[in-house]
Amino acid sequence: MAQTMKEQRKDAIIAVALELFSQRGFYATTIPDIAAKVGMSVGNFYNYFTSKEVLAKELVVYISEYLGKHIRDINESEADTEEKIYKIVSMYFNMAHERPEMIEYFLRVYLSNREIFLDDCEGMICVSAFVTEMMIFFDDGVSSGDLYDQDFFSAFGLFMGYLGGMVFLFGEKVLPDPLENYKESISKNIYNALKIR
Amino acid sequence: MPLKSDKKLTLLWLQGLTCNGNSHSFLNLSYLADVLLACDILYHPSLPSLQTLETISTCKLECDVLIFEGTFDPLMQRNNVMVGKLLRHYAQKARHIIAVGSCASFGGMFKASAPQRNSGLVFNETAHEGPLLQYQEKVINLSGCPIHPEWLGYTLSMILQEKKILVDSLHRPIELYSYLAHHGCTRNEYFEWKVDSKKFGEKEGCLYYEQGCRAPMTHASCNKILWNDVSSKTRSGTPCFGCTEPDFPRANFFRTKTNMSIPDEVPVGISKRSYLTVAGIAKTFHIKRLEEKLIDYKTAD
Amino acid sequence: MITKQLIEQIEGEATVHFTMNGNTVDFATVAFPHFRGMERILQGKNALDALVITPRVCGICGHAHLMASVRALESAYVHMSQDIQLSTKAQMIREFTLLMEIVQNHYKWIYLTLIPELGKLMPLSNMSTPLKGAFAASLASKALASFSGQWPHSSYMLPGGVTCDPTHMERIKAQSYLRELIAFFENETLGIDLETFLSFESCKEIRSLSSDISRIEQSLLSLGMHEKGFAYDRFVVFGNHGFSVPSKMKQTRSYSVKSKYVSIKDSYSPQEKTFAKNALYKNDYYETGPLARAMTNSVPIIRNIHRRFKDSAYSRVVARIFEIASLLQHALELLKLMELSETSLTMPEPIHTLTAEGIGIVEAPRGVLIHKVSIEEGLIRNYEIITPTQWNIGSDTKESLTPVQLAMQGVTQEEALFIFRTFDVCSVCTTH
Repeated sequence: MAQTMKEQRKDAIIAVALELFSQRGFYATTIPDIAAKVGMSVGNFYNYFTSKEVLAKELVVYISEYLGKHIRDINESEADTEEKIYKIVSMYFNMAHERPEMIEYFLRVYLSNREIFLDDCEGMICVSAFVTEMMIFFDDGVSSGDLYDQDFFSAFGLFMGYLGGMVFLFGEKVLPDPLENYKESISKNIYNALKIR
Repeated sequence: MPLKSDKKLTLLWLQGLTCNGNSHSFLNLSYLADVLLACDILYHPSLPSLQTLETISTCKLECDVLIFEGTFDPLMQRNNVMVGKLLRHYAQKARHIIAVGSCASFGGMFKASAPQRNSGLVFNETAHEGPLLQYQEKVINLSGCPIHPEWLGYTLSMILQEKKILVDSLHRPIELYSYLAHHGCTRNEYFEWKVDSKKFGEKEGCLYYEQGCRAPMTHASCNKILWNDVSSKTRSGTPCFGCTEPDFPRANFFRTKTNMSIPDEVPVGISKRSYLTVAGIAKTFHIKRLEEKLIDYKTAD
Repeated sequence: MITKQLIEQIEGEATVHFTMNGNTVDFATVAFPHFRGMERILQGKNALDALVITPRVCGICGHAHLMASVRALESAYVHMSQDIQLSTKAQMIREFTLLMEIVQNHYKWIYLTLIPELGKLMPLSNMSTPLKGAFAASLASKALASFSGQWPHSSYMLPGGVTCDPTHMERIKAQSYLRELIAFFENETLGIDLETFLSFESCKEIRSLSSDISRIEQSLLSLGMHEKGFAYDRFVVFGNHGFSVPSKMKQTRSYSVKSKYVSIKDSYSPQEKTFAKNALYKNDYYETGPLARAMTNSVPIIRNIHRRFKDSAYSRVVARIFEIASLLQHALELLKLMELSETSLTMPEPIHTLTAEGIGIVEAPRGVLIHKVSIEEGLIRNYEIITPTQWNIGSDTKESLTPVQLAMQGVTQEEALFIFRTFDVCSVCTTH
């Protein structure tokens, strides 16, 4: 029971931290801010995370595992490659709607404040769950004869860069239509760009 | 003709479509003399034999151990006798049948000579379609192109010592083929840390990522016991071609098949997800020692 | 009347059909019944795959096939004006491993073919077991595998060099196997040290020894093999190596050779289907192999023997045994001179950029081996292999005899079968 309580508290810290970091940025957010919003003492906070940097890394792993789990479900579904692309795009845009703080955090903290993540979070370490599933997606796509065989990062960059860009535009309120309306055309564009020639 | 002594094992070595590579590999066995002393060689393609191919092809003799080298081609003859007839005659009474090499085991290299009809003794690749299917309980497959001499040395010695040879589902002795060619490779550390070989002709780097090495997918004890007592393909910078497996020969031997830079095949028994997780993380670390030359002759002096 | 003889243990089989004139052979044709279609198997494959497939032409000389293949690919690169940089080290390693394969072949031939065959014609005392041949061959294979990774069936040569990157450890180990092999040759075969043997200039000096080689020499003489088994006294050597000089020779005069004059002709074998084809130079038959190499290399003792006994069965046999000695010495030199700091392999442009034809020529244990390849965008369009036995053991009409047919003419059938084997015949290579 105590364990469950502790887990819940930890989840609460993560939820609050995601919100604050994504709104105010990493440096402008303090541990007392987070503790206050969760409703715990600063001293107690340190029982969960030993520093703000450790928390920041934990958040990346949390988001990566969240994405990884959803893409894994898609990878393991019966869908063909074109449908899978649509499902991944939908999942990502839905997440931008329902949990915008996750994507905001990823774009505004993880990708913008690289200095925080240099130690213990370099390369694939914190984002392994997510990138591995994208590898599985591309590998399946090529071996089933749907996708064109090319360098992994060329394809990964095209896919994720595109989605990240759209969500950024959405966040900046530049998009005239709801994000939902773009799922179809963006999925098609990605598929056309990656499909076998 | 010397008289056959009673207790010796009579051994008959027949050939289908072959290059004789297994015959010659066997001659490299360090304890060849001991094995030959314990056997009466009815016929071997290069060793002195008690019989000639002419007498063998009359199908009036018997043997304890029938060794077959080469792909079985149902239309092939030896001394104007169908090889299938020779095989069936000698297989009937033989106590053990040994398919030496991947040709005799699965079809191998010379299955391509007539792909519709050629096969191994029991298997056509992995399908049970060979001419000695009915005798499959006594067939031992020693796959490899060619066999390692120790593999046949082991098998004959086990028979001579009346020990039971445990085999896998492809009839290969598990004491020889439960290892992977990867085991004992001197490049293992490069595999662990995902440091690929940038080019051929270097001591450093793993050949699995780019150069086509199939050692992590290939059942063979090559790097455990070494070839000619001294080396192995991977130790001399050549990728493993997977020559002990039923799908040998594949194609594009010197290039790894990848899908968007991701290896199409990962080590035996490891899920791709697990492999990619570990590989991605290992690749993150740049380990200076593994990225440098082991020995730099040019600056050493 | 035509009688048929099955010849076994020649890396497969052959059959000879004899037409007799009394007790002596009037005419003989040769058939090779087995065929694998290697050239067809190669079609459409990635050109680099030839380096894995062609060694499987032959279990005893696969390394020569590997080298012919790699040379053919390299020549295709050169024909496309793409530079191939081959370090001296890579060339020496390739040559060393080729030498070791020739030596193991010759050793097996002496103890697994020659001595047993001599024994069929006359009683031989004191002549030792086939295990001698296998043991010496296994030592040569160890030295070879120190660089090539394994033998048989290595694929360690790639366009631009070799895949191995040996340290002095491997070089020294190879040296020790080589020294062991030389000691074995001196003690078991020669009965004298290698250096002295190499200084011999006449067969009388061989006769002064008491060893396997002197007993072989004596047996050949007492069988009259110095007066039998003559072919055309024309020789051809094509492979460019440290131990051979490409040239053709008619009796004792040398001429230069060009591969464009090599042609292939269907065998004449009216009694039986054969898959073999005959190899010719400028429409003539030539003998290839150790005797041809010794003649074109002007090896004094072989030149002297030739002066007396021409291209008899005797000369052919002694040349092959003597070649072991000279190759062992050459191999020692190579290991001494090898500079390991040089690069092993310089990668050429990727194979898929290659559209060209290439030719690779090598001196294999039994003589000239030619691989010709035609490549389109890295894939093999056509591949042609011409092996030494196609030069020596062709089968043609009585008006146009091949070297072996001529050599078997006018002797008894028993002698003819022995003479046949003095060429060192490889059945699997012939039809491939």
